[in-house]
Amino acid sequence: MMRGIWGREMVALMLLAALAPMGLAWLWSEGLPALARLVLALVISGGWHIVFMLARAQPPSFAGAITALAVAMLAPEELGLLRLFLGISFGVVFGELVFGGWGRNVVNPATVTLAFLGFGFPGFPWPEFVPPVAWAAIPAALIGVAAGVMPAGVVAAAVLAGAGAMAVDLPVAHVLPAAGIVLVLLVADPVASAATTLGRWLTGGAYAALVLLFATGWQGAAPVQLCVAAALLTSLVAPLFDEIAITLWLRQRRRRHGRA
Amino acid sequence: MARATGLWGTLTAPLLRENPITLQILGLCSALAVTTSMATALTMSVALTVVLTLAAGLISLIRRHIPDTIRLIVQIVIVASLVIVIDQVLQAWFFEISRALSVFVGLITTNCLVLGRTEGFARHNPPLPAMVDAFGNGLGYSLILLVIGALRELFGKGELFGQTILPLADEGGWFTPLSLMLLAPSAFFLLGGLVWAIRSVMTGQAEAPEHVAPRQGEPAE
Repeated sequence: MMRGIWGREMVALMLLAALAPMGLAWLWSEGLPALARLVLALVISGGWHIVFMLARAQPPSFAGAITALAVAMLAPEELGLLRLFLGISFGVVFGELVFGGWGRNVVNPATVTLAFLGFGFPGFPWPEFVPPVAWAAIPAALIGVAAGVMPAGVVAAAVLAGAGAMAVDLPVAHVLPAAGIVLVLLVADPVASAATTLGRWLTGGAYAALVLLFATGWQGAAPVQLCVAAALLTSLVAPLFDEIAITLWLRQRRRRHGRA
Repeated sequence: MARATGLWGTLTAPLLRENPITLQILGLCSALAVTTSMATALTMSVALTVVLTLAAGLISLIRRHIPDTIRLIVQIVIVASLVIVIDQVLQAWFFEISRALSVFVGLITTNCLVLGRTEGFARHNPPLPAMVDAFGNGLGYSLILLVIGALRELFGKGELFGQTILPLADEGGWFTPLSLMLLAPSAFFLLGGLVWAIRSVMTGQAEAPEHVAPRQGEPAE
């Protein structure tokens, strides 16, 4: 996507626009403390982008704001300034900026931050969401997919798998709101999810399968916690799905044309 | 890179400039596993340095008599014998630490760092330079282990060598431990950060980039 207006920043801005309804619904329901968290996350994330711009001439990206929004919404509550700073710094620097900035990262920096905070400080409560925020994940996914900045395969596979689980009466209704929010914030990320069509469907399916597995088998985990764990594992296996898709394609090509 | 010569150069080169862990990326397995506290890290460092130095001396002494075809077996036999001695010493006098180190003292036998130095240096050099080189590499390994061990114990438990440095919030202090530091991934992160820091200062150690990014604003193909 390097032609015309579709540069990297355009993708980041479209993602921000897609997430805006959900972010605004969340700010509306949570009020000032949420706004303070968002501003803090924005400042820390933006600060590191500027540091890397000055030190390495890496252009800063609006993607830092997406990371900040995801962290502010999903991070465990009552962490305090120092721990949030540590977690966001770790996620943004080691998850994204050392690899060369947004677009070259292997995992979503917000996922890294949340996994770090979750494993590092296990005693803090995970956030709960009121229904309007969860419903706002639907327009977010629709705008993202329609604008082509969220991988449609990932969203479709996850939604189909979730609907299938509801149809066969698995006891997962309590995690669905969190699963939807995590899906649009962390999993349906154009960079860290798979890049091939088959790989994307597999990624979405894997995310849904992990959420279902954790929801039924992980006793005592908060909905957001298990969805973040599922998102982390999904982003780690996404390159494998790409590899599988490319191998299958090469094999098919060899069968049809007799050479690779 | 300017190379210091003589015994002093052989001793100091592996400390930072040719550090076995951060430049050669050898001996990582034990470096990651035993660094949850300073006590185990220090014991492991001493054990490895002693084994490495003695093994290098012995192998260097008989270097003209080792048949090339079985040289690895001979080296491993010598290293393994020394490791067994060290292991017995630890079990006799430092039983608790020996328990904490579990299998990793035994695994010094197969540590890439030990075989790398005996195979790469001691086999071709007289005993004194060989032992100095082995000792220097042992010190380089110890340095990294102690740095990572100190960071992990300080931020994971608020202690150094079991002495409380940062009073814990549970016991009336202010410090909440970062329990991630006691898990294996944190050793990877710290080691990665350390390699990064060293290579930013000593730019000669940095590897050439594998890929060059396409220029901004041009069609991708």
